[in-house]
Amino acid sequence: MRGSLAKRGTKKFLKSLRESGEVFYTNTGPRDTGQSDFKNRFTLHDMAMLVPLYNETGYFSVEVHGGARFHQDLLNNKIDPFEEADLWARRMPNVLTQTLIRSTNVWGYRMYPRNVVRLAVRAFLPAIDVWRCFDFLNYIPNMAPIAEEVLAGGKIFEPAISFTESPECSDAYYLRTVREIVAMCGGTGGIILCIKDMAGVGSPERIKRLVDAILQKYPGLVIQYHRHATDGLAIPAMAAAAAGGARLFDVTDDAFSRFYGHVPVRPLTRYLRELGYSVRLDMSRASEASDAVRGFIRNYDKFESQYKGFSHDVTDHRMPGGAFPSSFEQAEKGGFLELMPDILKGMAYGNRIIKYFDVTPGSQITWTTWAGIIQRLHKEGGSNSVRKLFQALDRYFHAGERLEALTQADEHMLLRLFSGATDDLKNLLLGKYGPLPFGWPKDWVYRSAFGDGWEERVKSERIESSPLARLADEELEKSRKAMEDELGRPATDEEFILYLMHPKAAVDFLKFRKDYGDTTNLPTSVWFRGLRRPGDSVSIPLDGKPHEIKLVSIGEGVGGVKHVVLSVDNIMHVFPVELPEAALARKAVRKATPAVKGEIGSPVTGTVWRIGTKDRVLKAGDRVKRGEEVMNIEVMKTENAVKSPMAGVIQEICIKVNERVEEGQLLAVVAPAGE
Amino acid sequence: MTRQGPFRKIFIANRGEIACRAIRPCRELGIRAVVGYSDCDELSLHVKLADEGVRLGPSPASMSYLDIEAVLRAAKDSGCDAIFPGYGFLAENPDFAEAVDREGMVFIGPSARVMRILGDKISARKALSASGVPVTPGLTDVEDADQVIKFGDRVGWPVIIKATAGGGGKGMQKVASPYEVEEKLEAARSVAEKAFGKDTVYVEKFIEGGRHIEFQFLADRYGRVIHLGERECSIQRHHQKLVEEAPSSLLTPEVRKKMGDVVVRAMKDIGYETAGTLEFLVDRAGKFYALEVNTRIQVEHTVTEMISGFDIIRKMYKIAAGERLSLAQEDVFLRGHAIQCRINAEDPKNGFAPSFGRISFLRQISGPFIRTESGIYQGWQVPPFYDSLLAKICSVGKDRKTAIERMRRALREYEIWGVKTTIPLLRRIMDHPDFVKGEIHTGFIEQNIAGLTEYVEAEEEIFKLARFVAEVSAFGRNIHGA
Repeated sequence: MRGSLAKRGTKKFLKSLRESGEVFYTNTGPRDTGQSDFKNRFTLHDMAMLVPLYNETGYFSVEVHGGARFHQDLLNNKIDPFEEADLWARRMPNVLTQTLIRSTNVWGYRMYPRNVVRLAVRAFLPAIDVWRCFDFLNYIPNMAPIAEEVLAGGKIFEPAISFTESPECSDAYYLRTVREIVAMCGGTGGIILCIKDMAGVGSPERIKRLVDAILQKYPGLVIQYHRHATDGLAIPAMAAAAAGGARLFDVTDDAFSRFYGHVPVRPLTRYLRELGYSVRLDMSRASEASDAVRGFIRNYDKFESQYKGFSHDVTDHRMPGGAFPSSFEQAEKGGFLELMPDILKGMAYGNRIIKYFDVTPGSQITWTTWAGIIQRLHKEGGSNSVRKLFQALDRYFHAGERLEALTQADEHMLLRLFSGATDDLKNLLLGKYGPLPFGWPKDWVYRSAFGDGWEERVKSERIESSPLARLADEELEKSRKAMEDELGRPATDEEFILYLMHPKAAVDFLKFRKDYGDTTNLPTSVWFRGLRRPGDSVSIPLDGKPHEIKLVSIGEGVGGVKHVVLSVDNIMHVFPVELPEAALARKAVRKATPAVKGEIGSPVTGTVWRIGTKDRVLKAGDRVKRGEEVMNIEVMKTENAVKSPMAGVIQEICIKVNERVEEGQLLAVVAPAGE
Repeated sequence: MTRQGPFRKIFIANRGEIACRAIRPCRELGIRAVVGYSDCDELSLHVKLADEGVRLGPSPASMSYLDIEAVLRAAKDSGCDAIFPGYGFLAENPDFAEAVDREGMVFIGPSARVMRILGDKISARKALSASGVPVTPGLTDVEDADQVIKFGDRVGWPVIIKATAGGGGKGMQKVASPYEVEEKLEAARSVAEKAFGKDTVYVEKFIEGGRHIEFQFLADRYGRVIHLGERECSIQRHHQKLVEEAPSSLLTPEVRKKMGDVVVRAMKDIGYETAGTLEFLVDRAGKFYALEVNTRIQVEHTVTEMISGFDIIRKMYKIAAGERLSLAQEDVFLRGHAIQCRINAEDPKNGFAPSFGRISFLRQISGPFIRTESGIYQGWQVPPFYDSLLAKICSVGKDRKTAIERMRRALREYEIWGVKTTIPLLRRIMDHPDFVKGEIHTGFIEQNIAGLTEYVEAEEEIFKLARFVAEVSAFGRNIHGA
């Protein structure tokens, strides 16, 4: 596939796909299914088993990248997203690689300036063939820089229209959106249009009608139906989309299939074939892949949702497949799991008050807002308060959304509704993400969220035009320097991209790599749980050379440290492992921050034998010159002068004479002042 | 005390690699080797290799290896008839040599008288000049900064301040201009006081771009002196040698002969006995100046051994036992080229800060034409109390190029984990085009430090993964990815 795309160019490639008359699949297992049902924790070790199987199954593409996986890779999986994308691209030549990009949020959680967006896209162009791009406001100008880069790079751009069912989301509305997309992309020939049913709410007939309406207007479009399974109607909805003329469908391996991800590939194939469609799929390979998944999927049991099962009420609360199970996780961690039914109900009301699409970052805003509101009300008056709010909201909608038609008590209740609004919600209301698709909410919402002076805020801050156009370019050199300071070494271009997306997670990841190496070489069970019993071992090939790590013993925790004895390539090593409590206590040693110029850290581990010089004992409040010796540390009989990085006044001396200090430990703080 | 006939038992008053080295000829000659050890050295390699061990005292050197009383008692109580001091510690202490003699044992080294002359840099300069050895212009009675400034103005800047009782480059201060004199003088005095217990210093003209070349000689008590050629020790940092080789690519046979003759004559004049080294600085014009005489075995003696075929320490034992040096200068044939690298527990990336800790993994090296002298083993804890030298590796080949190739191979194989070492820096030096061409001088490391420290510390990947596995196994869960 990839060879053909490169050789023939996007337009010819898509034309032959269109003319083939076949139905094709995107396997979303590694990314979206993994995100929706398994919190994105799949290891590369397990994914690598699927690569050769997917390569032979006849898929159009495999979604291997993007969405929340990017962040999760850095944060928890400790996978380099570049290495991950490259693994798929290199070893799966028969299938296209696909990413999901969140318009201006790219693979992060904030709006990035255009130069960052372009840089990030360009960096992944070599490894990623299909770029599915959505915007939670369906605000098409937000997609423009991505569209330009992908089209210019000879890859397939797949703009997605965020789909939900509501009175506003009519065929006419979607046709307007598609028209904007087609105009931006210079026609229909070089793109795939995606209908992104991320929550799984479209009824089969609704989907069929929409696909048909779009194809009536744009017969040349290749339409992909992206559909989550949450409401339980996914397979008939897929078939309906096919009847409408959609040619591409998101599926997953049978053994990956749960409730919030995607439909299992083999039942769908059988059904579509029965309906007379020619489906591009090798069933026996698909079966092998599913068996392979069954072999490792139990590694991820603990990442599955607290609640499992279809949830047809998704058609009201509209939580997308990825967010729904993780909301249960958050609710459990926060100790308010029992409030979930009320929160979901609240979200359904919320969707009617402030209208946008519940997908990142919108879904997070809805969730945080309503989890907050319901918790607050529960604290105030238990489930009774919540019931009262819902009744007031019922009366509000019954009264045609007129606040003045309500009693004073109801009005008061509604005006308090958004009083705890987060900055994200406020930014949304001020158009910082882009104009809302169906207009701004009613004034009382602003009054509720911003309190007194709300009118002034709206007048002076609400943006009606493209927010991206107003966002100044990032000063890349400055950011890079900040990164390299934190990292303590020069960064590669790819590392810098990781940093631009997620500064803290990227630096933490790179430091992790430095300490522990490339852990993606470890089998999944070892990655999650280590070696359990003495004698357990793991074989790891590096550069084609086998290595062996065998557990000899795990000691009792003594003095905050457990001694783990491993035989590494037949040689015993003792690893003192600090228990988390002890590590916390140790961190009490103050470290100098390299980026803060006035903080003087110890260059070595040793003993401070003198503060000041032979002639001048220094104390807090003393003036020092730049380069003046502040103290001296003895290590193995050598003297190590510690000099002031600048002229200034000593604010604090953090150690005593003859104190033993660690490398990097904060010795003194100097505040700048003239010589 | 002088003695005739072989020793029965030698006390090795040292530790680390040189103690291990010194035990080996004992074993060859059927002499029992006794070592002293401090508390932190109980489990050190020299104790393991020796026939007997005696506790000297607590870990700080001043309370153990430098404690003359403790060393003498240990040697005497264990029935030793001689003491070999190695380098450092008490090796160049004439009071110690005298005390050994008083106790009826043999000090394996020169007499206290010779050590006194040569150990004090000022009297050494006088004695050497008297025998016709050229010395650098110098100022010996330093009282104040003005005097140093006048001297510098006369001979030309920069000058260098050294401790009169010094060694190993400790406390040396290069002074580039009159403005730095005051500060540097004070610093040199402070270190001299700390390191040698004596704050007197002297000043010499600093030879820019100079090359450090030293001659190894052997002398018996019957007046025979021969030299074993030179070593080049220009790869050094702050006067701490890091790479040494023999012969020097700088010397022609004529200059070698001329310098050798000067050395032999001077040592005859002084009445030197046992092995020693005369250090020279050779300037760009090929003029040589004597720096000092090391009245002891030197760290880098190995390269001379590799090209001459003599075991210098074994010779020292024999000379001290009263044997006659049977060799004449004509019997000395120097063949091929040898290079030695010093593996120190230091972090070159962090200003060569000392590094200590447990050696978690050690892959020693071997193979054709490679020699290792080390005092370490896997699992051993590098103590923070002493010199940072862990090991030396030596390669030999028919020419310099072959020796470099073999050294590269050896450094590639050598792995020490748990402490930072000079190994990655040495790998860079062996690859440096100037080093390969032999265009080296004493400022080589400082001049090239940025490039030489531009290596990635390749702690082996599997060891990093093992550390991860250890953590996850200890907790039973992944605290990073869970």
